[in-house]
Amino acid sequence: MSEENLHVEKAESTENPSQKINQLLEGLGDHYEFNYSTFHFDILPYIFYDEGNFHFFSNKKALEESGQYTFSHHKPVRTSDHHSPDLDLSITNLVAFQFIAAILIIAAFLNIAKKYKKNATKAPSGFQNLMESLVVFVKDEVIRPNLDEKTTKKLLPYFLTLFFFILTLNLIGMVPGGHAATGSLGLPLALALIAFFVINIVAIKQSGIKHWLEHLLGGAPVGLAPLMIPLEIMGMLVKPFALTVRLFANMVAGHVVLYILIGLIFLFGIYFSPVLVGFSIFIYFLEILVSFLQAYIFTMLTVIFVSLAIGESHEEEHSH
Amino acid sequence: MGLLGAAIGAGLAVIGAGLGIGKLAAAALEGSSRQPEAAGNLRTTMIIAAALIEGVAFFAIIVCMLFLFIQSPNA
Repeated sequence: MSEENLHVEKAESTENPSQKINQLLEGLGDHYEFNYSTFHFDILPYIFYDEGNFHFFSNKKALEESGQYTFSHHKPVRTSDHHSPDLDLSITNLVAFQFIAAILIIAAFLNIAKKYKKNATKAPSGFQNLMESLVVFVKDEVIRPNLDEKTTKKLLPYFLTLFFFILTLNLIGMVPGGHAATGSLGLPLALALIAFFVINIVAIKQSGIKHWLEHLLGGAPVGLAPLMIPLEIMGMLVKPFALTVRLFANMVAGHVVLYILIGLIFLFGIYFSPVLVGFSIFIYFLEILVSFLQAYIFTMLTVIFVSLAIGESHEEEHSH
Repeated sequence: MGLLGAAIGAGLAVIGAGLGIGKLAAAALEGSSRQPEAAGNLRTTMIIAAALIEGVAFFAIIVCMLFLFIQSPNA
């Protein structure tokens, strides 16, 4: 939670409400500098693919010194015609947080794997116990009941990565001063697209591409194809879309509610602050529960979609 | 006018989600009181269904948030 946004909100209280909300939501979005609560560190590189060339600047000062790009409305634009660059691949604040989460996960799991190799016969304890119980939970409660053994072995690393990545990103957003990368539309969309490809590629590998195309008919005779195919394609596309919006909206809603509750202190005066802070603490604990729950739901729904995609092809094989 | 529409829309979405999840929780409680051994299964199904219903409510919330950023010409 960034206090500077609340300072800005109080100072410009003559603007209309939607602009204040804009400023609040900007705090939740992406920034070009590394943010930790109110501290900005100008260490993140800017990478553009513009007019056929790659441009690489190591930080904001280098960008402004080069003279090729300037800033307008907090976005880099070309100095020549004030166009934004064609493809903006910069390492932004949320990308840096994703890297932090990835490094944390890799470090934690390498540590556990080493400990497991060293004493494979003793019962685990401490941090290893915690991680192992989470891994076994995902494997035995989420994946095994829905998928057969062969697919479980093939896809277990993917599902574990998905679960722990979303969980770590959400929890980093909960730490004071951290930003939740799942709170911007890009990351849940990317995860849902990857899930979409995994579901369809596993279905195709299991029973061939002709079978998968026949799936688009949905069991109706071929004559109804112009009607069924758009419907089935929409059904196929709505699943990743629902996954995206669910994860994104849950995370954003929690953070916005916290911002607004603290912002109400400016509206109601200092004597209401115990009630409001107490409420915020309650919502904070609810948000921790929602972090776990959303990671679990995303993984479980992907597992169910994979099992649906495989199971249908199996049933049709047996029934014919 | 956009603000009014957004507020009313968000309230209606919450009514829908609250009713749906309330009925779901009631059914899950009744099922586990009839058969306590199935309580674990019912809990898992209830959580999944609640997340799906909440997802639909969040679609409505996203649409309402879009209304907040559309300003009328003379505002």
